[in-house]
Formats: sequence, C-alpha cells, structure tokens
Amino acid sequence: MDRWWLGPGSFSGASLHPGFYNRFDMSDFHNRSQVSARRSDYIWQYEYYDDEEPVSFDGLKAHRYSIVIGFWVGLAVFVIFMFFVLTLLTKTGGPHQENPDSVEKHQRPEGRLVEFNGHQEENDKAFSRPLLEGSRSYFNFYISEEDQAQEKQKPEDKKRSTKVIAGRHLCSSEIDEMDEDNEESGGHQPLNGLTENSMTDRECAFMSHFNIPNFVNLDQSSTLGEDDLLYEPSVVLERQSQAYNAHRDTH
Amino acid sequence: MNNTAMNQTDCPEVKVPFPVFFTVGIVSLAENLLVVVAVIRTRNLHSPMYCFMCSLAAFNTIASLSKTWENLMIVFADVGHLKKRGPTETDLDDVMDSLLCMSFVGSISSFLAIAVDRYITIFHALRYHNIMTMQRTGAILGLIWTLCAVLAVLMVKFSDSYFIIICFIVFFIISLAAICFLYVYMFMMARIHARNIAALPGCGRDKSQHKRRWGSNMRGALTLTILFGAFVVCWAPFFVHLIIIMVCPLNPYCECYRSLFQLHVVLMMSHALIDPAIYAFRMAELRHTFRKRLFCLKWKL
Repeated sequence: MDRWWLGPGSFSGASLHPGFYNRFDMSDFHNRSQVSARRSDYIWQYEYYDDEEPVSFDGLKAHRYSIVIGFWVGLAVFVIFMFFVLTLLTKTGGPHQENPDSVEKHQRPEGRLVEFNGHQEENDKAFSRPLLEGSRSYFNFYISEEDQAQEKQKPEDKKRSTKVIAGRHLCSSEIDEMDEDNEESGGHQPLNGLTENSMTDRECAFMSHFNIPNFVNLDQSSTLGEDDLLYEPSVVLERQSQAYNAHRDTH
Repeated sequence: MNNTAMNQTDCPEVKVPFPVFFTVGIVSLAENLLVVVAVIRTRNLHSPMYCFMCSLAAFNTIASLSKTWENLMIVFADVGHLKKRGPTETDLDDVMDSLLCMSFVGSISSFLAIAVDRYITIFHALRYHNIMTMQRTGAILGLIWTLCAVLAVLMVKFSDSYFIIICFIVFFIISLAAICFLYVYMFMMARIHARNIAALPGCGRDKSQHKRRWGSNMRGALTLTILFGAFVVCWAPFFVHLIIIMVCPLNPYCECYRSLFQLHVVLMMSHALIDPAIYAFRMAELRHTFRKRLFCLKWKL
C-alpha cells in the first residue's frame, strides 16, 4: 500500500504528487491505469485531476520556490524573535531596579526561610521560593554530599537526600562547566571556595533542610567560571547564614 | 501527452544521495543506542528524567534503524535485487512505515514528557518524589509506547484518510505549543530567581557581577533557543509538507515545496542525530558514566 504522504522516500515508491503514485513507471500509462484499478478508492480522485489538468507552470507571478523561501524565512525570523524575547526577559527588572528592592529583599530571606522551616511540604507558592531555589541551584551537588554524610540515619533526611540526588542530576544538566570543574577536581567534591568559608555545623544543617531540586539554571549554564562559583555561593551562604543567625537571635 | 506534461515540471524532485542518508542514519543509530545502553546498564541513572531520555533515545534509534533499512531496500530495488511490488516487499514496507510513524509520534511524546518532568521538578519541587515515582514513570512510558504503537498501526492501515493526517498535525501543533509554554515559563522563573539572588544584600553590586550574570543569562537564552529551535526547524518542514498535500495538491508553488521532501526527511533524521547532544550528553552524570566505561574499556584493551 502506498503511503503517499510519506513521499518518494518510502520503499514502495509512493509519490508526493497526487495521482503520481508510481514514480518508477512514469512512462507507462497503461500500467498506471491498471494499478489505479486495483486501488480505486483514493487514486480515482487523483486520476481525475491528473487527466484533466496537469500542474502547469505557465504564468507564475512569483518565483516558483516562493513558498519554500517564505517558509524558511518565517522559521528563521521566529527562532531569532524567540531568542530576542528570551534575552529581553533577562533584561527586564535589571540592575536599576535592584536598589529600591534591596531593602525589601533583605527582609525576605528570614521570612522565607522560617516559612520553609515550618512548612516543608508546602510548595505551591512558586514565587515564595525564589531565593532558596536559586541559591540551591549553585551547589545542590555538594549539599547532597553533605546531606548523605551527615544525616544518613534519619529516614526523612534520607528521602531528602535522594531528592537532592535527583536535583543534582537535574540541575547538573544545565551546569556543564560547573560539573566539569567538579569532575576535574576529583568527583563531587565541595568547591574550594566553599570549604574555605568555614561553614559551621548549624549552617550545614540549615542548608541541608532545603534540598529543593532545581533543574533550570539556564542562567548559570556553562558560563560560570570558577571564580563565579567561588564568589557567588560563598557570598550567598554568608549572607543567608547571617540572616538566619540574626533571625534566631531575635527569638 | 500526460507524461510529457509531467516531464515539463519546473520543480524536479530534489534527491538526496544515499550516502547522506546512510551516514546520518548510522551515526544517529550509534549515538542513541549508546545512550539507551548506558542508561539501562547504569544503576544510578534509573531516575525518571533519565528514563524519559532513554525512551527518547530508543525512539530515535528505531527511527534511524527503520529509515536506514528502508534506504538499503531502495538501493537493492534500484539495483534490481528486489521486486518493488512483491508481497513480502509491501509487507516489509508496511512494517517500516509503521515503525517510522511510531518513532515520530514517540519522539514528540518524549519531548513533551521531558518538558513536563522538568516543569514538575521546578514548580512542585518538594513533592517531586511523590508525584514522579518510578512506578508512575514506568506507567507513563508504557502508555506512551502503547499509544504510539496503536497510532502507528492505525496510520499505516488508514493512510489514505485525511483524518489521520489531520490528527497527526494537530498533535504536533499542540505538543509544540505545550513545550514552548513550559520551557518559557521555566525560563522566566529562573530569571526571577536569579534576580532575587542578585538583589540579596552584598551580592550583585559590582559591574563584574552584572557582566557575568548577563553573560550567563545570554547562555541560558541560547540553550533554550537551541533546544526549541532545533525541534521546530527539524520537524516543521515535514508537517508543512503534510498540510500542503492536503490543502493545495495542484498548486505549482506547493509542488515546488513538495519536491524538497527528501531534504525534509533528512532534517528529521538529523534531529535524531542532534537529540543526544542537546538532551542526554548535557547531563553530567551520563557523561561521567561514559568516561568511566571508556576508561574501563581502554584499560581492558
């Protein structure tokens, strides 16, 4: 049976041209009518067209490949437009908007962290997890190691550690260079900058509670050099630990 | 008279040489088979995301296998070793076409499954392991494969009906829209998170931080564009071909588009070639597994 819509690339020689179902027997009209008698259903319609009006190329106003050209130009424009829309999305709410928000955001870490301390299973507020997810994204891989090392015995933490392993898989998908740096330094070792930061046990335990697998680090994918990794997570850790300590001290 | 009219067509069919088909088919077969074997044989890659990627690679393997086999048969038939209309040949052709259809539908379903899995990872992160258990993953994959097999058989049996083609096209457009929406939404959330981190006191104040973040944001946009753009560029021409066959079978402009059919099929096969590069080989775990196995192999040799 000819799959006419699969075109001449298919073995049985199905045609891309309606009524032209047998490209290997083009010159034999008698053959064609015989074959058409066997497949009377759909060939019959096309035989009608074929006998009456062959496709004529006379009087074409535009270039004959105009649909092809138009299609590919449209596709290229769509892809480039999508790229520009995505880069514009990265620029909205840029540096100039961060100053007025900084005071407000300074208050946010404590609030969000306390929320998460209390409500581990509530996760439907996507917007309420921005800081944690983003910060976790940098070093999920090393948190999983910490988590596994420290809290192996507890069942709920074991569950969390498996979550983080998934998170590590997921987030590592987009953090090419980061993982290559890690692998070069001999497996999944904590980053040098982070160990130099002298994290306290409390901070480690605090961090290990928030094992949110975060896959999309498109913003960090493959461009973070080692100095990024050393600087940003360490600063984030410091700030968050300070915020946490400040919050704890007030209670 | 009719034949001479046919021979006067200004848009002769553009033929892609067989070596191109063979090269693309064999390279994509090797890559995807490698991914499938690596995921199946490595214990710690048995997670939902890797299962979906393995399924995608399996569908790509089937597509390249059946297309390469079909090309082999065409070569033999051109040379004269095979009959074109014999019963075994038509049956084999049925099987190959249905495998191709199955792999097309399956690839698109796997992309959708991967996008949904990534979406759940981000927006239902704490409940991810309750939502996406391995049993559910297995059930979803079983459903996808069964549906694809049934659809493939139906498509091949009723290929002369327009209804099937319309369903195929509608399925493609819906999957495209869903994938686009999911990824753009995830991208926007990632932007918001990055901005919030940057707005933490003490972070993101100096120019070099901004520059670095801008560079990484650009890379994120580029990644997403490549992912989605490759899907659209490789799959859309074939579907436009289907639409054109239904809508304007006699228009000369449409015939010129249809004459490029083999190029469009090569594009679809090359998508099976680049899929491992943009999905599977970006996962560090998988690369790590490959390196370990290669070292073991070299050491043994």
